[in-house]
Amino acid sequence: MSTCRESELDALLAGELAPEDAARVRAHAEVCAACKHALTWQRLERGWMTQRARREPARPALSFSALEARLAVAQKAPAPVRHARREGQWRHWGKMAMAAAAAVAFVGLSLPRGGTGVGVGVGTEEPWSRELLVVTGVEACEDAAAALEARVGACLIASPMLALRAD
Amino acid sequence: MVLVGTPPSDTDGERGLLRRARTGDPAAFRVIFERHSPAVWRFLRDLLRDEAAADEATQETFVRAHSRLGALRDEDRVGSWLLGIARHVYLESRRTRGVHVDVADEEHAHQVEAVLPTPSPEDLLLDQELAGLLTEALGMLHAERRAALLLRIDHGLAYEEIASVMGWSLPKVKNEIHRARLRLREQLAAHVGGGRP
Repeated sequence: MSTCRESELDALLAGELAPEDAARVRAHAEVCAACKHALTWQRLERGWMTQRARREPARPALSFSALEARLAVAQKAPAPVRHARREGQWRHWGKMAMAAAAAVAFVGLSLPRGGTGVGVGVGTEEPWSRELLVVTGVEACEDAAAALEARVGACLIASPMLALRAD
Repeated sequence: MVLVGTPPSDTDGERGLLRRARTGDPAAFRVIFERHSPAVWRFLRDLLRDEAAADEATQETFVRAHSRLGALRDEDRVGSWLLGIARHVYLESRRTRGVHVDVADEEHAHQVEAVLPTPSPEDLLLDQELAGLLTEALGMLHAERRAALLLRIDHGLAYEEIASVMGWSLPKVKNEIHRARLRLREQLAAHVGGGRP
């Protein structure tokens, strides 16, 4: 079946092929052992499924009166779609409120402490460790930078890579 | 509920029934229910593998169908539309129940094909034992693959309809059904072609 299509055999059995296609597939299945084999299995499966469906006993729970009772309850209940939409809207507004609160908290925490007048965001940067400054060769300019930092009240060595480029 | 106009009969076409049901005719919806509920139930039973759960899911399927009658575009495809709703009900039920009983459906279809026996005409008879084995073998398939196969060989949906119900591409539908078939045959091979004890 590597070059043959089982779906075509299936369509042949289901009567879904156009007459010329059906003739072509049928002729092929006559000479192709793999397709003949697959076709035999497909006939078997269809036969089994048909017998299985016929033998299925009637289900008392499938009575229309039971469904009618349920439909009546569903019709009396408030429209589920509208309710779900409203619930979704509340959920949406809740998320918006939480996002706004988080943004306010973020800005608040980002503001410089002690009123130095330095721009927002500077205070959030972690100071570089001494080992890292040595490894990256930043130490040489550290003293001059420290003096400048003390004057403006901010950490000017934002990144060791920037300091190296300055060298 | 009040009957409107001439009571529908079992021979009424799907389009006519659907149009009447859409206008609020309960008798028309009843015919649709009686016509399709056995197949919907069987599909759900095969997916859920639980008869009581299939009863409940079938009712839920028709409750949803009743509220969405206006949404059905292709009036000739009531059956596949209902099976599509049933599949959604099944997926929700599976999530709610936390059921995950799929057996690993490993990808060795190409190896299986070469060793399958050829069935004989006597194999066509589905005896009680084989019926049980068939149901068991279907249950061994991955749930989505099982659904696709059943929609084809039990419910007779066209490949395009299955693609629509499953939300798959057409090549995927063909591929999944082919794999499901080979897996099913592998499970039942010992009972066909004279291999039966």
